[in-house]
Amino acid sequence: MKYLEDFSVGQVMEFPPRTVSEDEIIAFARDYDPQPFHLDKEAAKQSLFGGLCASGWHTAGMMMRMLVDHMIGKYASMGSPGIDQLRWVKPVFPGDTLHLRGEVLEVKFSQSKPDRGVITTRYEMTNQTGETVLTMQGKGMYARRPAQG
Amino acid sequence: MQYFEDIQPGAVREIGATTLTEEAIIAFAKQFDPQPFHIDPVAAKNSAFGGIIASGWHTAATVMRLIVDSAIELEASLGSPGFDDLAWLKPVRPGDTIRARMTCIDKTPSRSRPGIGSARFLIETFNQNDELVMRFTSIGIMRFRIPAKH
Repeated sequence: MKYLEDFSVGQVMEFPPRTVSEDEIIAFARDYDPQPFHLDKEAAKQSLFGGLCASGWHTAGMMMRMLVDHMIGKYASMGSPGIDQLRWVKPVFPGDTLHLRGEVLEVKFSQSKPDRGVITTRYEMTNQTGETVLTMQGKGMYARRPAQG
Repeated sequence: MQYFEDIQPGAVREIGATTLTEEAIIAFAKQFDPQPFHIDPVAAKNSAFGGIIASGWHTAATVMRLIVDSAIELEASLGSPGFDDLAWLKPVRPGDTIRARMTCIDKTPSRSRPGIGSARFLIETFNQNDELVMRFTSIGIMRFRIPAKH
């Protein structure tokens, strides 16, 4: 298990890519974001996106899964206070392969709760042609390494 | 998000509500946020949260559904470029009923694309005890009802 102390400012993280299918896009949209351009291929063709595309919340969820599998899950995570900024820069289409890269901007030890602290990280998600599809700056809370007894 | 002309800065809409079951919380988290305090009741009990809590992304996606169901004119909506200042203020637990309040902050017509505009909304999410559990500022892009007027 890794702790807050194991993060360092400037640390860069690369994550294994993930491909998203049309079925996944439609299943997510049915449950959480049933707008025509996320659900219906024909309607989506007429939209500004030009074709069926993933709900931005689905893209964010896929990013979260990449983070939990390859970063957050290896650390003593205590959840997240929030997200400073998220931008859906370009649509994510069926068959797209998403690449994620993150950089730690700040590591802050809590003054009031000495067992924990918060990191600020910036992420960029790109597709298979190198276009940026999502950027996010967010916070994560982590436990400090317990004192050795 | 109505048509651009219909959006009134300062206008408030009350949206919802819906109840999150433990089953739905765990199902979402297994797919997108499989941290122990979202998927494992025993581990969650021993965590700082004292029990299963919903992934913050699940809370956000659930609010999106509430907004799509009651506050979006599907013909008008053109999607969203993102959001700012999202804060997960209190855990959402199984059985909690959440609702949202959507307050329009401002609206701006597009300078480059006639017939299109954007608006910013403060989205506040409350639980059944009227505690604020999540807050963010969302940006929506929408059509003008009458493109020629622009």
